[in-house]
Amino acid sequence: MTAERRDDLTDAERDLLARAVAASAPPPEPRWGEYRAELRARLETRRSIGRRLGRWWARPAPIALSLGLATALLLFTLHPVERRPDLAALDEAMLGARLDLLEHYHVVERLDLLENFEVIRRLDDVVSREG
Amino acid sequence: MTDDREATSDETLCRRIAARDDTAFDVLVTRYQARAYRLAWSLLRDAEDARDASQEAFIRVWAAAERFRGDARFSTWFYRILVNVCLDHKRRGRWWTRLIARDSDRDSDESLVERQPAIGPDPGDHATEAQTMTRLWKAVHQLSAQQRAAVILYAQEHLSTAEIADVLNVAEPTVRVHLHRAVAALRKELAP
Repeated sequence: MTAERRDDLTDAERDLLARAVAASAPPPEPRWGEYRAELRARLETRRSIGRRLGRWWARPAPIALSLGLATALLLFTLHPVERRPDLAALDEAMLGARLDLLEHYHVVERLDLLENFEVIRRLDDVVSREG
Repeated sequence: MTDDREATSDETLCRRIAARDDTAFDVLVTRYQARAYRLAWSLLRDAEDARDASQEAFIRVWAAAERFRGDARFSTWFYRILVNVCLDHKRRGRWWTRLIARDSDRDSDESLVERQPAIGPDPGDHATEAQTMTRLWKAVHQLSAQQRAAVILYAQEHLSTAEIADVLNVAEPTVRVHLHRAVAALRKELAP
């Protein structure tokens, strides 16, 4: 046991762990040449994706497009577009503002008398003519 | 005659990989491929998954080489990447593994251990030993992924508990607890 291998385990316990790990069947050995070729191909794929992305970002059009989208998003967040007013809500608001007329209902209900206002105004003439 | 490239330390190779030296990458892969694959296989128990995970770990080394600070050994840093890839692989694969396991359980009542390839020849004289080994393997298989990683890094890769703690990103006492619990589980499995 090396000095750095502090683990509180007894030799028997260490042996048990070693046996347990060794108990598994050895892994099927890959063909290392094929393995490395496959790895190189995967790495090359990643590199080409990275290069393509790098080139895409380096172009002025994508940068302008991205900046434009980001600005539009920012503006929309800060100043949301005003919605068209809801007509029904507007009606309700107007009616609400005129509710104080109810206090003068007694006047309003007599307004039909005014239809005869012309008659009333000329009442004196009628009386004198009759008189 | 010693090849200079072969004599280069892992840490030096890693610095060269950070400078995008493909030869250094090839040397490092050749140096670690067998260990990486064996460790991945021990954790994943599947040849194709082990191949995939170990290759992914090498690709991550290539991508992150410039972040290797050199304050730990390269092997510890590499094992950390590899173990993380394997644990991620297990987590990702869990949902469909369960589905497949459910289907195959319908087909067969055989246990997972019984479905594994036989552990070498099993002549009559060694029957008891083979059974013991099978039970030990079963016990290791039933440990949690992190416990199993601790056991494998300790007993197979011969890392210290401090190094295992670094690889698994846990405190050193946690590694000791993992090892003691593994021993307890193995003893329980072997109890008559």
